[in-house]
Amino acid sequence: MYLLRPDLHTRRAFLQRSAQLAATGVALPTALNLAAMGEAAAQQATDYKALVCVFLYGGNDYANTVVTYDDPSHALYTTARGVAGTAGSISISKADLAPTALTPTTALAGGRQFALHPSMTGLANLFNTGKAAVQLNVGPLIKPVDKAGYLSSNRQTFPLPPKLFSHNDQQSIWQSSSGEGSTVGWGGNIGDLALSTNGGASLFTCISITGNAVFLSGDTAQSYQVGSGGPVRIYNVPTTGRLAYPYGFKDVGDAMGVLTTSTAMPNLLEKAYNSVTKRAVDSEVAISDAILSTGPLKDTNGNVIKDLAGNITYPGAFNGFVSLDDKGKALNNSLNDQLRMVARLIEARDKLSVKRQVFMVSLGGFDLHDNLIANQPKLMQYVSDAMTAFYKSTDAMGVADKVTAFTASDFGRTMANNGDGSDHGWGSHHLMVGGAVKGKSFYGYAPPVGNGDSKSTAEVDQWSVGQGRLLPTTSVDQYAATMAKWFGVPDDQMTSILPNLGNFNGQTTPSAIVYPANLGFML
Amino acid sequence: MHTEELTQVESTVATTDTPATTSALSADTPENAQFSPAALSLLAAALLAACGGGGGGGATGTAGGNNPGNTGNPADPDAMPIDPVTGMPVVVVQPPAAPGFNNAPKANNDAEAARFLQQAQFTSKTNEIASVRADTYATWLQLQFAKPIAQTGWDWLEARGYGNEAIAKDYVYNSTIADYMVWNQLFTAPDSMRKRIALALSEFFVVSLQSMEIDWRGYTITAYWDILNKFAFGNYRELLEEITLCPAMGYYLNTKGNQKEDVARGRQPDENYAREVMQLFTIGLYQLNLDGTPKGTTKEFETYDADDVSQLARVFTGYDFDRATYGNFAGVFPNYSIFKREYARQRMSFDATKHSTLAVSCIDINIAAGVAGPVALKTALDGLFKNPNVGPFFAKQMIQRLVTSSPSGAYVARVASAFNNDGAGVRGNLKAVWAAILLDDEARIPNPANTSFGKVREPMVRFVQWGRTFNLKSLQNSWKIYDQSSTSYGLGQSPLHSPSVFNFFRPGYVPPGTGLAVAPEFQIVNETTVGGYINFMTDIMRNGMKVPQPDKIDTNYVTPVLDIVPDYSTELALINNTVSSDAEATRVSGALADRLNLVLCAGQLSADSLAVVKNALKLAMLQGQAASRITAASLEKIKLDLVVAGVLLIMASSDYLVQK
Repeated sequence: MYLLRPDLHTRRAFLQRSAQLAATGVALPTALNLAAMGEAAAQQATDYKALVCVFLYGGNDYANTVVTYDDPSHALYTTARGVAGTAGSISISKADLAPTALTPTTALAGGRQFALHPSMTGLANLFNTGKAAVQLNVGPLIKPVDKAGYLSSNRQTFPLPPKLFSHNDQQSIWQSSSGEGSTVGWGGNIGDLALSTNGGASLFTCISITGNAVFLSGDTAQSYQVGSGGPVRIYNVPTTGRLAYPYGFKDVGDAMGVLTTSTAMPNLLEKAYNSVTKRAVDSEVAISDAILSTGPLKDTNGNVIKDLAGNITYPGAFNGFVSLDDKGKALNNSLNDQLRMVARLIEARDKLSVKRQVFMVSLGGFDLHDNLIANQPKLMQYVSDAMTAFYKSTDAMGVADKVTAFTASDFGRTMANNGDGSDHGWGSHHLMVGGAVKGKSFYGYAPPVGNGDSKSTAEVDQWSVGQGRLLPTTSVDQYAATMAKWFGVPDDQMTSILPNLGNFNGQTTPSAIVYPANLGFML
Repeated sequence: MHTEELTQVESTVATTDTPATTSALSADTPENAQFSPAALSLLAAALLAACGGGGGGGATGTAGGNNPGNTGNPADPDAMPIDPVTGMPVVVVQPPAAPGFNNAPKANNDAEAARFLQQAQFTSKTNEIASVRADTYATWLQLQFAKPIAQTGWDWLEARGYGNEAIAKDYVYNSTIADYMVWNQLFTAPDSMRKRIALALSEFFVVSLQSMEIDWRGYTITAYWDILNKFAFGNYRELLEEITLCPAMGYYLNTKGNQKEDVARGRQPDENYAREVMQLFTIGLYQLNLDGTPKGTTKEFETYDADDVSQLARVFTGYDFDRATYGNFAGVFPNYSIFKREYARQRMSFDATKHSTLAVSCIDINIAAGVAGPVALKTALDGLFKNPNVGPFFAKQMIQRLVTSSPSGAYVARVASAFNNDGAGVRGNLKAVWAAILLDDEARIPNPANTSFGKVREPMVRFVQWGRTFNLKSLQNSWKIYDQSSTSYGLGQSPLHSPSVFNFFRPGYVPPGTGLAVAPEFQIVNETTVGGYINFMTDIMRNGMKVPQPDKIDTNYVTPVLDIVPDYSTELALINNTVSSDAEATRVSGALADRLNLVLCAGQLSADSLAVVKNALKLAMLQGQAASRITAASLEKIKLDLVVAGVLLIMASSDYLVQK
């Protein structure tokens, strides 16, 4: 059995980099980033690029997000989930889906059609105007595996990701290829490669606007956390250019600086804690100054952007253009608040001297075992509104083709109805948004619709492992590699980021599914 | 009577090969003695020593040879400790030392006593230190086990008037009252160890106010909190059944309203509780050795697969809130009646017509088709409870909550053994678990060479420690303290507000780039929360907290006024210098720093840090013109500034933030 051990992953990456380091004859730790990674990553480009991971915690219900829309498929979907509007049903009617139907440039095989959830008008519009695309049935895999392989008891030949259907572990596996306890994620690994380009501003390479997540931790790159409202200033800890006077005592302020940022003690927990505080104190002024000093938001022609009420839009307040929905109504959702902070940081990219950044934002509440029909619309609307507003803000800043946002989640859910919700699954459909995304297209394979027979390998059951849990036909490694390639990660560095990518290099399963290293959805 | 019980104990200790009983609570493989149930209830803590060490022979519990300070000989009524609440004598037995266990049975100084107290409860106040030092740690534990619950959370809500049906419109959909309730309990309850344990249990058996969207939601989660308190010193198996069937968990993990399969409509039983009761509440994902490490050297063995979950899900069908029994009342809303709050603390009711009667095969749990629902439930919970994974899985996480993030395998094994068999053949005796955790040598005997020892104190525990240490009170008993989950402006954590059933942090979280193995609490330590905590404490620690309308019970937001206030009178009394000399400032600042170091930090400030604190406080006293220097004659508000400066310095230091 393959165990995706983070230590192996880390060691492999380290050995690769060490070898490169040895070749250049450089030995200083700081030079490791610059010398080894700089050449290897070939990211001396002067342009700017950012990846933004939008993580939907709890496991999003794929079947009501990218909803099957052609008549035969919708009928099967209705069979599995109940007639829309009837008691206990968790399906959405075709009539409700019509306004958000997706119109790809090239129709899918077999007459398959999809629509987004009815509350996702913004993203449906971005898809249909070529700024967004859908990756069908993607999830963690170690190797290509079809139903026969899944059912086989030979885990040497057909390894499966560990701890399938478990929230915390699948979150970690999506982010890092390993279960809970992993310390290195692919966002962070991409960040490792970008450190050289960012030089001294390496702390701002991987930024989380949500909580701590393994996604953004690299071997070298550290995840930096900032709140939706900007960095927290610790008034009673002094920093360069600012004294502190807790309760009026400067001497106490000076002592606060020592006690909260010293790392001279032997205990590793204490060292680690004060390291975080020191980073927070050291970086707060730089980030605060950068995001407050960029002035009014301007469009690509240099014109100040005004909101629909005619007010000038400041990135520091950002209470105009990017915060309004299609109807001119102010948005009020936490995902939007987070993405607004990402936009402010992107706006401040020159002040922070960064060329490559990886961001993570998140929204929770997707674990809808119950009340799916009642509660999912609000969540889907948050996602759509926030990602649409974010796209518009990058467009206004002239960096729409430099910023790619994508969704991820613990897992997909069952097609089967458990009464008024769905249970934990595996593969899911995800969205990629940005000017560099080859939009108005579906990628991957549309899975058969239905609960499926968990033990059958018939075509109609091939990609369901029971109750409509999707067996992925595209791996997270492929999904990540496609974006890493666009980001500038060279091919020979890919496996240091995505250890299983070598298993997805054009292989096919007996059922004729192809697993390319590059899915082709990025320009 | 006491002597008789002791005699029984001693006689059974001698027969170490007594067979297991057939009780559901009995251990699978008792390596040790069995004790009579009557003795057990009194002696649970003491008796685990034998199994903790695995040997069981030698000295019995009352020999006292290992306990130089033993005053708890139960045969001597004069020496019998008195339960401070009931006034009744508590029979205390001293557990013998065993390898790895209870080799430091008594505090040698105030700092050791404080260190023990901060692991076992929230505070180490002067009188508490004295009570620990009066006897052995084991004695103190047994006294805590004997303390009753002074007031349940439910009764506090009732006393405050939140259950008044005439104003139910304001509270039936209100969860803020549960915040008031839990802060009141944590800050004021006399049974503080029980509260500390209940809080730890609330992070293992997680139910959260973050998504409790039901009638009487504040009462529902309060009933849950009361269950955790009721069983904190009870048995794990009973606790497991109680939380499985209570409305809060029923709602949170979807057992409420869960129905049998309906093939025609494609409906399957909801799998949420079936999965999480295994993954989080009992056995975890991987088969474990007794020491908590995964079995297998080249690969790990999963405890269950997806099919096991689907099958077990059938057991948890047919349950719903028992609204029929407890009824409705009208007149609150114009068009519908609402449910009486009593349902919120009663077990869910069972409807056989909605229960799946399909056969269940889950791991080694086998239930035949057609078995009645309640029987199936008992079989399933018994089966999970008896799984050998439960001991190490639960033990390790409880050690992490109370003592250290990365316990040794031997420590986990000793505590797991106590879970498996408390020495009396009983499995799941939680008193035995707490005693095993807190009397273990790894907890009691500091090892400076272990640079990973300890844990980050949880932000909510720091806040409670601060409040209890400085006798926080609500002037009008409002306790209107809200959810403090904000990372930027609050603690980044609040009791009963976990973001998901996976708690605020995972037991396996590894902070990247630190050289640490696992350190769960670090999952909520980041550049935002470190500052949010310091700013929050700075804002409240001097004057306390303002709350809206403390004279009323309602939760409306109006201009707040001061109501939640700390009491620094003990510390203020230390500023007793009358001359603003350097020597006097040194003496006073030193005394203040030493006291705060002891009560907040168990004397664990490093020499360097303590010097920094003392120097800063001394300079603060001496700053400015002579007339403005701080002396006994200074205004109280000036002296208060000095005291809280000292509190802030310590509570912001890494020496404090990491409990070692």
